[in-house]
Amino acid sequence: MIALALYALAAVGYAWHFLRRDRRAGRWATACLVAGILSHTFMIGMQTVQTGHVPLAGMSEAVSAFVWLLALAYLYTEVSTDERVMGTFILPLIVGLMLFAAGNAAQPRPPVLHDGWLELHVLSVLFAYASFGLACVIGITYVLLFNEIKARHLGFFYARLPPLQTLDRMNIRAVVVGWLCLTVGVVVGIVWAGQAAAQGSIDPRVQAMSVHDPKIFVAVLCWAVYSFQVIAWRTAGWRGRRAAWLSALGFAIVLVNLLPISYYLTRSHNF
Amino acid sequence: MHLLLLGVSHRTAPIELRERLDFATTGLDRAAIALTERPHVSEAVVVSTCNRAELYVSCDEPPEAMGELRRFLASYHALDQDLLAPHTYEARDDQAARHLFRVAAGLDSMVVGEPQILGQVKSAYGAAADHHCTGPLLNRLFHTAFSVGKRVRSETGLSEGAVSVSFAAVGLARKIFGALEGHDVLVLGAGDMGRLTATHLKGQGVRQILLTSRTATHALEIANDIGADVIPWDDRLSALESCDIVIGATGALEPVLSHSVVETAVRTRRHRPLFIIDIALPRDVEPTVADLGDVFLYNLDDLQSIVRENLARRGDQVEQAEALVDEAVQLFTAWLRSRGAIPTVVALRQRFEAIRQAELKRLEPRLTGLPPEARARVDDVTRLIVEKLLLTPTEQLKALGDAHLVSEYADVLTRLFSLSDDLTDVIGVDDEE
Repeated sequence: MIALALYALAAVGYAWHFLRRDRRAGRWATACLVAGILSHTFMIGMQTVQTGHVPLAGMSEAVSAFVWLLALAYLYTEVSTDERVMGTFILPLIVGLMLFAAGNAAQPRPPVLHDGWLELHVLSVLFAYASFGLACVIGITYVLLFNEIKARHLGFFYARLPPLQTLDRMNIRAVVVGWLCLTVGVVVGIVWAGQAAAQGSIDPRVQAMSVHDPKIFVAVLCWAVYSFQVIAWRTAGWRGRRAAWLSALGFAIVLVNLLPISYYLTRSHNF
Repeated sequence: MHLLLLGVSHRTAPIELRERLDFATTGLDRAAIALTERPHVSEAVVVSTCNRAELYVSCDEPPEAMGELRRFLASYHALDQDLLAPHTYEARDDQAARHLFRVAAGLDSMVVGEPQILGQVKSAYGAAADHHCTGPLLNRLFHTAFSVGKRVRSETGLSEGAVSVSFAAVGLARKIFGALEGHDVLVLGAGDMGRLTATHLKGQGVRQILLTSRTATHALEIANDIGADVIPWDDRLSALESCDIVIGATGALEPVLSHSVVETAVRTRRHRPLFIIDIALPRDVEPTVADLGDVFLYNLDDLQSIVRENLARRGDQVEQAEALVDEAVQLFTAWLRSRGAIPTVVALRQRFEAIRQAELKRLEPRLTGLPPEARARVDDVTRLIVEKLLLTPTEQLKALGDAHLVSEYADVLTRLFSLSDDLTDVIGVDDEE
């Protein structure tokens, strides 16, 4: 709850910084964000101590962990590029997802999930999603700035966003990092499911683990989209607007997978 | 102590006169030294740029010193004083400080907010300070001016946005490519505008400038000027593949870059963005090139409208910048006034110290019997008593804001403690403080 309030404060700070170009507001926003991440870390740590495992399974836990990773990933880019503009776009996403996580009570963890592999699987997939979230926001700002320069009408975004090429590089970097993590996550997931099935698990969710399950199918689709983006970038020089749109498309799929599909459709991942 | 200013600027004098009043060519340090050697002048800094020549001095007798400044400005440049008089402006104390702060902030510049002036003021001060031509007053004044200049730059938008066509083009290039190191530039034609823009880009550290023109001899000459490589006119299309920035500045009557040519180049460039600056009249690039996906095309009109918008935006920031100047002027004036009390304070302290020493001397025979520690203690205690007695009156005196009040208090103190003898000694001491 404290973390949510701090994230919300940070969101207001970033927006103020963006609109009024007030440096002090920017610094305040960063301070709030850091405080939010710290209290969020504390919250996750407490849950880990209480239950004896990292809170990753279950909707609200996974989304909360995702928010935490996204906030960390954003903070890293802010510190490494000294650029606060993205915060304006990322923080509302963080606050929204955090609200969602807070609104869903955590459930006890089923025995089938007591496994170290699982933690690696969930963490790497969530970290991949966090990177994709960043890439999506960067991609959108790229398109906004591109359109302003292209239309020869310099205005709001021209005065506030970093250069196009910088955004382009940040986008690709985030996508590559996310893609690597997603690859690891998917491979670990397959290995884990294979092991669980071989051990003769009777959990119906383990038996439902195949590409026909919507959650797994969409995750693979998502992986395919980002693979295409990485390959197109390496071989055909796809960058700029194309890369930006792909990032946005990919993350839309991620969000669909993270929220409605996890909630209603999947039979294999409904922990 | 008073601050005086005598100056000439683009607001008061034509360029011909300003050129004759230039101090920079013969050395700002030499001018500052010559000025401090004049009677009535204690400290001096000479600021001289192509738009202004200004003398800042500190003195004790303003009217005499101002006369000295007028004579100096004329005689230093072998000009007639009467001829100069209608073009100069004069200011004292807070008004002189305000003027310098406005200059440093770029508020008095021909193009409001231009960034060079702060550097020029800094080097003017540096030249004078290096030769010990400055003292407490001008040191304080100029350092305040630097911080005002810095604050205006960082806290207002007064210096934001390019206000010339060539700088607008450079700004755009930076917004597209970020740092320009590692990018190549292709210049078509050897016109003045092309040369100017290429020079600015060179200043941003571009890797290579390729220049091509239909008249090869002229191109060679310009290329030497700006450090570019000349390529044959027919190679311009292949150069489009490697250069990210293209400047069209030929005198050709027909476009030299057609839609189809640029389209081919974009494809071989694998969608890397291409920034084309068409500053030729008539235009060098077919307008439909702007429709190509990865091309940014700006012509002279586009750049000029950016400049107009930036100028208007700077105008909106003036009020904010003036407020920062106001704040600094108030602080500086308060400091200047508090300095009016300093001779009295010093004289008062000297008088008290003299009394203490005299009493210790009188007691000397009786103190000789004491051990050294005890004698040191007596010395300490008496000094502490004197310091404590003087602490509050000193602070009160320095805190007086009004110059008249300061002199009234000083008069009273001088009479009460009959400090007039001490004061004459002190005035000389003051400068070294």
